[in-house]
Amino acid sequence: MIGGRVIRRRAERAVAYVVLVALGVFGVAPFVYMVILSFKRRIDILVRVPPSLSFQWKTIASSYREVLYSQGMLEFVRNSIFVVGVSTLLALIIGTPAAYAFSRLPFRGKKNLGNTILSMRFMPPIAVAIPLFLMIKEIGLRDTYLGLILPYTAFSLPLIVWIMIGFFDEVPREIDDAAQVDGCTYFGLLWRVMLPIVRPGMVTAALFGAIFVWNEFLVALYVIDSRGLQTISLGAATLVSAEHPIDWNISAVVGVVTVVPMLLFSLLVQRYIVRGLTAGAVK
Amino acid sequence: MITGSLAARRSFVIGKLDHRGVAVLLLLGPCLLYLIAFAIYPLIYSLRLSLTDLRAADAAGHWIGLRNYGDLLRDQFFWNATKNSAIMVVSSVTVEVVVGVALAMFFNLHLRGSAIVRGILVLPMLITPIVVGVMWRSLLNPDWGLVNWAIVELGFEQPNWLGSVEMAMKTLILVDAWQWTPFVFVIVYARLQTLPHDVIEAAEIDGASRWGVFRHIILPLLMPAIAFAAVFRAVDAFRSFDLIFGLTYGGPARSTTTLAFFAFQNGFHFQNYGYAAAVAYMMLLILMIGTTVLLRYVQLRPGHAE
Repeated sequence: MIGGRVIRRRAERAVAYVVLVALGVFGVAPFVYMVILSFKRRIDILVRVPPSLSFQWKTIASSYREVLYSQGMLEFVRNSIFVVGVSTLLALIIGTPAAYAFSRLPFRGKKNLGNTILSMRFMPPIAVAIPLFLMIKEIGLRDTYLGLILPYTAFSLPLIVWIMIGFFDEVPREIDDAAQVDGCTYFGLLWRVMLPIVRPGMVTAALFGAIFVWNEFLVALYVIDSRGLQTISLGAATLVSAEHPIDWNISAVVGVVTVVPMLLFSLLVQRYIVRGLTAGAVK
Repeated sequence: MITGSLAARRSFVIGKLDHRGVAVLLLLGPCLLYLIAFAIYPLIYSLRLSLTDLRAADAAGHWIGLRNYGDLLRDQFFWNATKNSAIMVVSSVTVEVVVGVALAMFFNLHLRGSAIVRGILVLPMLITPIVVGVMWRSLLNPDWGLVNWAIVELGFEQPNWLGSVEMAMKTLILVDAWQWTPFVFVIVYARLQTLPHDVIEAAEIDGASRWGVFRHIILPLLMPAIAFAAVFRAVDAFRSFDLIFGLTYGGPARSTTTLAFFAFQNGFHFQNYGYAAAVAYMMLLILMIGTTVLLRYVQLRPGHAE
């Protein structure tokens, strides 16, 4: 009897490990496949199925050079890093004090105001993209970095406020009281006491604001005209849209180039990802 | 309420500048002003646009009242897109919740090496949706794609994933599920880690079957997290169009044109700003009704979801 149960346990465990490995393999396969395609010539992809695992450096170099330099992807990456970096920073600077007020200070209409800000996170991009474009055009910022930074800050702001409220709420109120007894003002308290405590939260908030904006291309589609100012998602969108027939090796290179910066960045800040996703869900 | 009285005492003790109202104004002001300028105002602007016939080519549109909305209600493509949105949102969220919860339970076995696999499974979420579209167009390519090759090797007939009206929506749902099931998984898994072990163990000792424990003890405890994830996913699936942009471009024969993509087409392709704004407002209306109903059952505000 007992022996039978042990065997059953072991068998179950073995099956579980097989499932685990299968999940891992299926999880990475699409990425590996994309990388392999990006290393091939256009003709190889069509002729050899599945693609062989022998690679020629010359082919790889020429496709990547084409995408990075001739198509301007490298410039797009730089543009994106600049635009996303500045707008995320702006949103953090504006959003963190607001989140602090939501978490700590009582004021009238707080609940409704909080819900309104949160609901902006759910806005369909198309509902604001056209007016934003017309506004940007009006103030003469069409086809400039600032013309993207201003709307993007507004896009990540609700998300950042919302995540930061969660992190401020986690800080015990005793800390406020102690600081206040020491004669700290609200601003001193926020700056000297709270910010150092919620710094990991700020990284998480920044990360999610940044991902959100990194992927945006609708507003960019309207605002940016010059190729030299395109962001990476806009560049990728124009290069690989399902609307046109495409070179599969080139589109795979575009995919790799678009994904790699994000993956590297998220590896660096991996431990913040789960915290950001679960902010508000699991308390 | 406790905070209220505490803060009142503080503002009394501490100097004038730090008066509560001034503090709230200074802390909150920039954020509110910014959102009013770049979120609320555009939204109102959009409403105004929806009452005009503005197109990109014209200098100024003409006020046409509710005509766009009337046209919309008579536009069969609008109803087609509404139907597609409903199908896509309901099916993809269902798939994502079922698979996400199953994955969370599986990873709750804490097998050795599962942290690495968990890290891998989270990756799709971080990828630009357009790239996800292209990636899957490669994998599902009828002539040389890896998936179809494997299906044929295994002796099955290959489905026309993206080329047929019957399949394209299912494929879109599958790809959306591939990208976003991890989101449900991560949230449910995190919640699972906070559940009290003793209750579950006690039930197991009492001889409850594993399915019984899951169904009657674990699942109810997971419900808030599942609901949270489902609402998030539903809204995002409803409003996003970039995966469709990369995967199907709404086709074939508009079978994957959701409301979000329909709005994008009108606003960008046809440059019909007024009409696109009207579609956007219909979407907002649906969102408002939908979330009001949903939020009766789900508490979304952080810090209060105990």
